[in-house]
Amino acid sequence: MREHIASKDFREGFVEMLPACIGLLPFGLVCGVGAAAAGANWLASLGMSAIIFSGAAQILAAQLVAADAPFAVIVLTCFVLGLRFLMYSAAMAPYLRPLPERMQKVLAFLLTDQAFAAAVRRFNASDDHHGAGLHFLGCGAALYLVWQVSCMVGFLAGNLIPSAWSLEFAVPLCFIALLAPLFRDAPSVVAAVTAGIAVLAMSHLPMRLNLIVAGLLGIVVGTLADLARERWKAR
Amino acid sequence: MEGALKLWAVIVAVGALNYLSRLSFIALFARRSMPPLLARALKYVPAAMLTALILPMVVEFKGATADFATPRVAAALIAAAVAFATRSTLKTLGAGMAALWLLQWARG
Repeated sequence: MREHIASKDFREGFVEMLPACIGLLPFGLVCGVGAAAAGANWLASLGMSAIIFSGAAQILAAQLVAADAPFAVIVLTCFVLGLRFLMYSAAMAPYLRPLPERMQKVLAFLLTDQAFAAAVRRFNASDDHHGAGLHFLGCGAALYLVWQVSCMVGFLAGNLIPSAWSLEFAVPLCFIALLAPLFRDAPSVVAAVTAGIAVLAMSHLPMRLNLIVAGLLGIVVGTLADLARERWKAR
Repeated sequence: MEGALKLWAVIVAVGALNYLSRLSFIALFARRSMPPLLARALKYVPAAMLTALILPMVVEFKGATADFATPRVAAALIAAAVAFATRSTLKTLGAGMAALWLLQWARG
């Protein structure tokens, strides 16, 4: 492990990720505040960020725990939200196949939205799979460390942040940074518009069930749009 | 379920499912090829799930009707334009927060 961390690729990945990490700081603070609001002690707050390691799932789990939703609903909602990791995993698999199994398992744990975006760029740009793997490890390590610290600071000191700053708005902004670039692809726009209309139309549903239903509806309609586009092109 | 126990159960269950999802095609089903329809559907998971997650945080409700004429909606649209053009988390965040503060200040 030590020779991994000393490598040039690891350091490059670590440094390349730092600007994105700064952008995620407010998101981490909000996650820490959410954990506190859900009644977590410092250890449970650290458990959320260190074990779940996904801002979206942490915020949603904290909100649902605070609202006293049933265990099964919380876990199912977070699972559907995490379906995107299946897609990231499938996209990364061919690149990671030449790497040792232990490395694959570590990199899978570090596979977040932000690390995925950075890793795909690097693996596409370089033929050196081992080097790109170390670069990914560097990206993931930077994100993991900054995430733990910012969540803990949010947990301990979140109530000191003035509410007039509207810091919680940083959370949708971080997701917008991931979403908007997808709009170059027409079926993705169809999937997003469908999910967006559905989630607002069903906002009266209890326990954020509108999120699961709207998300799944968006996936189905997006897939149908993709199939329709293919047929149209084949004619 | 008692509070602290339920929270830890959620942490472990969500953490395990998250890790299994991340590990899925890298290790668990590495030897299998993915059904083509599943591969196609997975491409649209991020767009659909992220939108369903974002909108309730941006759009406020006045009773049963959604209110789109708010500083938050305008700031989110500005941030989306910046994200589309730059793909940068930091610039998106900077533009979105600056727009929100300005619009809230202008509104008084």
